[in-house]
Amino acid sequence: MRLFSRFLAALLLLSLLFSMTGCGGQSSLPSATDKPPTETAETNDEGNASSKKPIEIEFWHNYDAGAGQIDVLEQLIAEFERENPDIKVNHLYLEWSALRSNVFAGASTGELPDVLRGDIGFVPQFQSLDILFEMSSLPDYNDVASKIMEAPNSTAKMGDKFYGIAANTNTKILFYNKKMFADAGLSIPKTLDEMWDCAEKLSNSKTIGFVEAWTGVWNIGQYIWSYGGDVMAPDNSTATGYINGPVSVAVVQKLADLYKKKALSGPTLDPGALGDTDGWAAGVYAMEIDGPWRHTLAQAANIDIGAVQMPPGPAGSIGVLGGEDFMMFKTSDEQHREAAWKFIKFMVDKKAQVAMAKVGQMPVNKEAMSDPEALEALPLLPIFEEALKTARSRPVTPKWSDIENIIATKVAEAITGQKDVQKALDEAAAEIDNLLASD
Amino acid sequence: MDNTDNRNAHHKSNYAIKNNLHLLLLLIPGLAVLVLFTFYPIIKMAVMSFFDWKIGYSQTSRFVGLKNYVDVFTDPIARTALVNTLYYALITVPMQIALGLLTALLIYGIKKFSLTFRLLYYLPVITSWVVVALLFRYIFSNQGLLNYIITEVLHISDKPVGWLSTRWPALTATTILGIWKGIGWNMVVFLAALHAVPVELFEAASIDGANSVQKFFYITLPNIKGTILFALVMLFIGAFNTFTPINVITGGNPAHQTEVVLTWMYFQTFGTVGKMGYSAALSVIISLIVSVIAVILFRVIKPESRGGKL
Repeated sequence: MRLFSRFLAALLLLSLLFSMTGCGGQSSLPSATDKPPTETAETNDEGNASSKKPIEIEFWHNYDAGAGQIDVLEQLIAEFERENPDIKVNHLYLEWSALRSNVFAGASTGELPDVLRGDIGFVPQFQSLDILFEMSSLPDYNDVASKIMEAPNSTAKMGDKFYGIAANTNTKILFYNKKMFADAGLSIPKTLDEMWDCAEKLSNSKTIGFVEAWTGVWNIGQYIWSYGGDVMAPDNSTATGYINGPVSVAVVQKLADLYKKKALSGPTLDPGALGDTDGWAAGVYAMEIDGPWRHTLAQAANIDIGAVQMPPGPAGSIGVLGGEDFMMFKTSDEQHREAAWKFIKFMVDKKAQVAMAKVGQMPVNKEAMSDPEALEALPLLPIFEEALKTARSRPVTPKWSDIENIIATKVAEAITGQKDVQKALDEAAAEIDNLLASD
Repeated sequence: MDNTDNRNAHHKSNYAIKNNLHLLLLLIPGLAVLVLFTFYPIIKMAVMSFFDWKIGYSQTSRFVGLKNYVDVFTDPIARTALVNTLYYALITVPMQIALGLLTALLIYGIKKFSLTFRLLYYLPVITSWVVVALLFRYIFSNQGLLNYIITEVLHISDKPVGWLSTRWPALTATTILGIWKGIGWNMVVFLAALHAVPVELFEAASIDGANSVQKFFYITLPNIKGTILFALVMLFIGAFNTFTPINVITGGNPAHQTEVVLTWMYFQTFGTVGKMGYSAALSVIISLIVSVIAVILFRVIKPESRGGKL
């Protein structure tokens, strides 16, 4: 029995040593040089093989299959492969959070795709893991970027470097339930103040005037900016005086008042509330500032929905930029990188951008934006185009994900009345500044 | 005489070694899996809790000593999550045992339809957590079934009640789900224990003139003490592992007020940029808490029963 105990002890010791080695040097993990064995190397081994194998690039994305975007993507890939017979694109659909967590998992093993098309918010998150390839180092990056609208592409910029290129864009506009406005005899609000008034007037025991799906800067940033405030200093060095400044406090106080009067709701404020899509379909919510998908979803639910640009505040109508960027990773070798960049250039070119516009993706290519076919497919495009002129990107800084979580938590505490607005936002500013000060 | 003894002892030890080696060989595959997928991750997690653990393949993790533990102890949301978990455990564990035992006693006492009742009570156990959590969400939501009954059928109020809107009512709704889903498992465990109690004891008690209540407290309970301890320990571990009901019903909202330790750990690991060290430290703390609870339960209940210790 003693032998058995010794054996168990040895096993435990071994597993301890095994785990200790895991936290020291990470040399055992793959590096950019040993992933993946390129096909060219294989063909070299085989001598001068007559039929050279194409370079295969891995492409992860979250294009919407339901909207027919994956069918269009497959057609585009086939066309790209015809034009570039030496390249083969293997695409893989991953739902938003799966896309993110797969990159997180791949970040620790080095198993990452050559190209990724994902949320603009992923750029700072992935770069904080030091895995993104600096795309502005590509010799013709500036030429390609010059054909793309500047605002959407700013979402890939960190410091003075670009770690991606805009794939498609969106911003948020005001959607309203036409019937509810007509029944209440209200006209469409012309200013943000009028919009809050309408929210109150449209609320009763069965309906709620306004819905916010979350309390991050994606949701409240647009109001703070339009009233002339900001969430962080322009150089992202501090949040004090910005997120807890008088404008931010007034905006959040207004939202807190509306929540108290049951004129504002949303599942992150009240877990018992209907999600925005269900609430629109049930005819509970009257207004929402949201992206182009709201139009499609409401139409699918047979809701007569109207859309106008977000009503302006004293500083104008400054929406928040959304959309997706193409990204490349450090793990790809030179050949795969070249092939990946070729594919990205193809995807941001007018033809592919118009094709994607037809299935609901708002283009970033300047020429595609005014293309008649794109305009026909996206009837709200002129409203969005106007909104995009003044839309702003959320701060692109490595700790943004944590910063936005702090803001979302503190704003939710303030709106739901758990804390005084000024106190909650002071705490947010202090926490953010602490986070920025830590390495 | 001495020589024979020595020889015998020598043979015996040889035999013991051979026997042990056989045992070892047979155990190796199972042990290897245990070491690789249980011991190694536990030790690795404990090690990670002392590092600012980076997940980027090219990043270096820095040793930070007890910083992650300090972060957990000074984090108000971690405290909220721990209090919520304890609330969930302290309500669901006793209620599941009480109702599970009661159901087992009732089913034990009937001759007909015993199997039907067992099946019916066990059904919630085998249903998917996600499905039943969604159903509970629909029942308790502002526009849900319960509010429909209150406002439209019974007309008790014209405004819906926010069952899930604030911390304690929302947590209570999840505990109801936890209890409902756990009764069946407890029933099966206690039924098995009840069947193991010797019938002679009840017969002897009947001869001595004991009533049903006396039989329950003086015969049944002492005889199923070991099973109660087993259920208590398992349910406490289960309560600390609760994730799906909270994740589906409230998502930890509003403002993380309804987080439990696992949902908060998940949020810190995957909802942000991967605070692995923080989450590892929180895991270690939770493991220690559960271990302490288990030790206390063993001490208090002292599971000596028929056939020795549990």
